[in-house]
Amino acid sequence: MKVLTQAQLNEWLNHLAERFTLAAPVNVQGKLLYRQVDDSSGIAWGFERTDMSPKTWTFPATEPILIIEQGAETRLDDAPAPAPTVVFGVRPCDARGALAIDALFLDKEPSDGQYARHREATTLIGLACPQMWDSCFCTVVGGAPNSTEGLDLLLTEVDGSDGAAYAVQIISEKGEKLAAGMPGEEKGVSLPKPRLAKGLPTLPASQEWKAQFNETFWKQVTERCLGCRACTFVCPTCRCFDVRDEVVSRQPGRTVLQRLRAWDACTSAPYRRIAGGHNPRPTQHSRLRNRFYCKFMYYPDDFGPLGCVGCGRCIEACPVNIDILEVIAGVEQLAASGSS
Amino acid sequence: MTTRTQSPKISVNSVPNPYLPLPMRIERIHVETDDEMLKTFDLAFAREEDAAGFDFRPGQFCEISVFGKGEAPFGIASSPTETGPLRFTVNKVGVVTTALHNMNEGELVGLRGPLGNGYPLEQFEGHNVVIVGGGFAFTTLRSLTHYLLDPGNRSRFGEIIIIYGARRPGLLLYKEDLAAWERREDISVHLTIDREAPGWTKHVGFVPDVVERVAPSAESTYAVIVGPPVMIRFTLPKLRALGFPPEQVFSSLERRMKCGIGKCGRCNIGPYYVCKDGPVFSLAQLESLPQEY
Repeated sequence: MKVLTQAQLNEWLNHLAERFTLAAPVNVQGKLLYRQVDDSSGIAWGFERTDMSPKTWTFPATEPILIIEQGAETRLDDAPAPAPTVVFGVRPCDARGALAIDALFLDKEPSDGQYARHREATTLIGLACPQMWDSCFCTVVGGAPNSTEGLDLLLTEVDGSDGAAYAVQIISEKGEKLAAGMPGEEKGVSLPKPRLAKGLPTLPASQEWKAQFNETFWKQVTERCLGCRACTFVCPTCRCFDVRDEVVSRQPGRTVLQRLRAWDACTSAPYRRIAGGHNPRPTQHSRLRNRFYCKFMYYPDDFGPLGCVGCGRCIEACPVNIDILEVIAGVEQLAASGSS
Repeated sequence: MTTRTQSPKISVNSVPNPYLPLPMRIERIHVETDDEMLKTFDLAFAREEDAAGFDFRPGQFCEISVFGKGEAPFGIASSPTETGPLRFTVNKVGVVTTALHNMNEGELVGLRGPLGNGYPLEQFEGHNVVIVGGGFAFTTLRSLTHYLLDPGNRSRFGEIIIIYGARRPGLLLYKEDLAAWERREDISVHLTIDREAPGWTKHVGFVPDVVERVAPSAESTYAVIVGPPVMIRFTLPKLRALGFPPEQVFSSLERRMKCGIGKCGRCNIGPYYVCKDGPVFSLAQLESLPQEY
């Protein structure tokens, strides 16, 4: 396995930044976000979990999906193609999040062209977690701190002779291409075992969620939900979006418009309201319940992967301490008491 | 070295943009109701080649774009058996629909579709069809009725009954079609309004009561019911009392669909997406779902 010293990794990343848009965790006013960096010096080394997932690079919070030019004639065009991008420092849970979105946007006909171009243009370099941090529960939903799923390369920090060193696992063809010409030396190393969290609940199966749909439990859990949507915006798998038109430029005889998609959230009230004012999901508890059911029943039943990768960001982000792990544990208990 | 995975899993070269609309020209605008809140738009393909590839079935819908204002879903009111433009009837309720109402004949809009599943016509074959509609929701029911009555199709279906209600006569859609159907022998049309009105000689009363009065037989019959939620809620028990099992009752749901292709998430009812798995569902399907419709 190839092993890079920190200096070699920095050098390689600097080289990548010349050829690609390089994104990596950056400390932006105390928040860890995946932002473009000019070279490795801008990277927030030693980070744990970032505040936002790298989903922003393959499914941006707002992006055009159509360009409309109105003049003597009307022209309808695709949005500009995304630039070739390398995202460095992707945590294994977030890479699984990308696979979850792929299952819907790519594998289900019709494929989403704009998302497909992002995925094609983006290479994900993972950085294995040495341990599960506070609120982490990737192991509950089928992941692991050192999972390679969805990544193109995975780097694992190992003890170097002086300072940090990184062992490189090549996962995909894309990763192999990127790693060609990478510095470092081939060595026999054994990868450290990540430290796992203990005392986590077991995820109930889809049909057990179905059986608990009308339980008063949901009212108790979700009573304090403010509908602020923070949980969905930090989520690496939430993919609901709204569509709206915006003027780019207006000149005499020529108007350029763009149709944007922007992240949306099933937990907000206007999300479901239809023309005329009828709202089929009229209560906050029914809206938040839908989010949990989407993640653990509807999404896996419809598309395969769970709609949750256990990153724990929603637990950290919720202003009223709604805890998805407590929800999982609660359904587990309901299922157990129902069957006994 | 071990085998490499492909990422992402499918080849995405030249995946077409499913959000790219077809340009359509507004051929005709017709004010449908006397409150002028509903207008019917006949849309013709701006590029001839688009028309050839556009096959749809009654009950499907399209996303119509007013460029700069956005997109909204509308059921197709014309039938594939009719030649000529596509027909949509639009209630002025929001940004896109208001912008549409302000447009003129000859102007350009965008169209994506056909979307959704449509009515299960194959299943209806050889059976009677009872069509129950309320208010401005008659759009795809017009498409369905034209389809069933088409000379090439009529013999494949049994008796056809329409029960259609509006608050007052001026709010009924497609008055010319209704008058033509009333003159025909091979369809029975029951129109109703909420309260007595001068010159009105047909049914008076809410749709559920007229369904009870007309009492269509459930024997070898499918019922299609589309209308405001409250009409559907009170009509379903009447149909049940007439012996209609939930497998023989179909409804088309309205949702705030954005993408129309099952991606954006907005229209789910449990594991179903109204835009892709619907908008037409059997009552049996709906009864198995969370009561969020």
